[in-house]
Amino acid sequence: MSTAEGTGTEAAVEVLDVSRWYGNVVAVNGISFALEPGVTGLLGPNGAGKTTLLNMIAGFLKPSAGEVRVLGETAFGTPEIYERVALVPEREAVYEFLTGYQFVQLSARMHELPDPEAATIEALRRVEMTSAADRATGGYSKGMKQRVKIAAALVHDPEVLLLDEPFNGMDPRQRLQMMSLLGRMAEEGRTILFSSHILEEVERLGENVLVVVAGRLAASGDFRAIRKLMTDRPHTFTIRSSDNRELAKALMAEESVFGVELNDGTVVVRANELGAFASAAPRAAQTAGASLFEVRPEDESLESVFEYLVTR
Amino acid sequence: MTVLVLTLTLRQLLGQKRTLVLAGLGLLPLVAAIIFRVGDGGEEAAEFTAQFLLNGLIVNALLPLTALLLATAALGSEVEDGTIVYLLSKPVERWRIVAGKLLAAWGATAVIVLASAVVSGVVALAGEGDWRILGGFLVALAVGSMAYSSLFVLLSLVTSRALFVGLAYAFIWEAVITNFAPGVQRFSIREFTASVAEAAGDPSPWVFDADLGTTYSVILIIVVTTAAAGLAAWRLSRFELGEAP
Repeated sequence: MSTAEGTGTEAAVEVLDVSRWYGNVVAVNGISFALEPGVTGLLGPNGAGKTTLLNMIAGFLKPSAGEVRVLGETAFGTPEIYERVALVPEREAVYEFLTGYQFVQLSARMHELPDPEAATIEALRRVEMTSAADRATGGYSKGMKQRVKIAAALVHDPEVLLLDEPFNGMDPRQRLQMMSLLGRMAEEGRTILFSSHILEEVERLGENVLVVVAGRLAASGDFRAIRKLMTDRPHTFTIRSSDNRELAKALMAEESVFGVELNDGTVVVRANELGAFASAAPRAAQTAGASLFEVRPEDESLESVFEYLVTR
Repeated sequence: MTVLVLTLTLRQLLGQKRTLVLAGLGLLPLVAAIIFRVGDGGEEAAEFTAQFLLNGLIVNALLPLTALLLATAALGSEVEDGTIVYLLSKPVERWRIVAGKLLAAWGATAVIVLASAVVSGVVALAGEGDWRILGGFLVALAVGSMAYSSLFVLLSLVTSRALFVGLAYAFIWEAVITNFAPGVQRFSIREFTASVAEAAGDPSPWVFDADLGTTYSVILIIVVTTAAAGLAAWRLSRFELGEAP
């Protein structure tokens, strides 16, 4: 993955200063990036604009400003791109009266593949849905629907695969299996972009990550660097102990602590780094001769982590 | 490709409650015909069949209602539930998707209204009247259902309230406003359909007499059908998916 401006060769997906608004509401705001083969995770809280961005890359939404190019073509209004591109939508809806086999075969036939039956069987095998292929999709669990949707998207062997929250509804074993499938597909030289609001999913699969918050690109690049930013950010803890006053004094002496406040039976501590504070807190308690009753992180929601990335 | 979309859509329509309800409504003209025959009413069978049964019940009510419900189910419901993405994410010209949807909506509408007309017409006319009027209405219903289906498929792509707008068109514009302002009959598919029925059935003027000229009506049916289908294909090629925040 790289920024859109710096690429010498043509990237599989190029998003060039793209915005999309609905009336007065801005869903995506001036985002630029380029994707090369490999797996990229599109991370962000719900409502951040991930689906809007994916739909623009998939050619289902026209950017209000900027341009999206996929495999060298303008994405919107170019059905030919679907010979080499596929999207797995987030919505659960499938044709419930079709069996899994018929659903995937419909996709194969609409792609006018030379041997739609063989392609269907292979796609179902890849997602481990062969045994349930003859059942109507209406009776499938959420995870099974997800896998059959992925099979329908894989049936024509696309170069670019876009997946919107692909692990929703899957059990842990299915997640692992799907992650390894996507990993293998990336090794084969495909460009895979998947969205998720769950940090751990992105961590396990995406070496590269795009973090989107409130329609803006908050961070992009190697996941480890972004993960470090997330853990190294200032953290706030609320502590209850047997001697708050002595504990506050001891904490003030710790290098990782930059703010202490005594507050209605609790100590509110601001620390630079999560790891350093984890060893500083018990050390300070020992120095103060105080027992720790509760150490509660205050702003650990994913939203607050994202918020930090935007404002840092 | 069009055939794939057509068969998929027919399966969708067959599984829907609204199709069963419409098939049930298609039996109402038969009930009316049976009551007419049992009651041995004073009216002539040909007049009753043409004016009340075929034109009054089927052309004026059953045809637009069936076409509206099936056309909006064919495409509008896919837009609503999100399955349209499985058609749009294929390297297929958009007009082929519209053609498949339109042919399915038209075929299903025609089957219901033609079956209703044949069954009720045969009961009402048996041993009594001139069969040409029934033949004329069958031709008219086939072409009228094409025009309505085309218009309503287009509607389901331009508004999320296609059902409401379609009902307003069929049962306020065509049924009420055209009675008060005769000039606007020139913009009514039901009037075009009646005119084709008159021309194809060639009945006596006291049996059935349409208000519009045949040539004008035939041209307008062709224009409405092709223009609405063309606009629907264009609209689908610019169609945007995705939830607004």
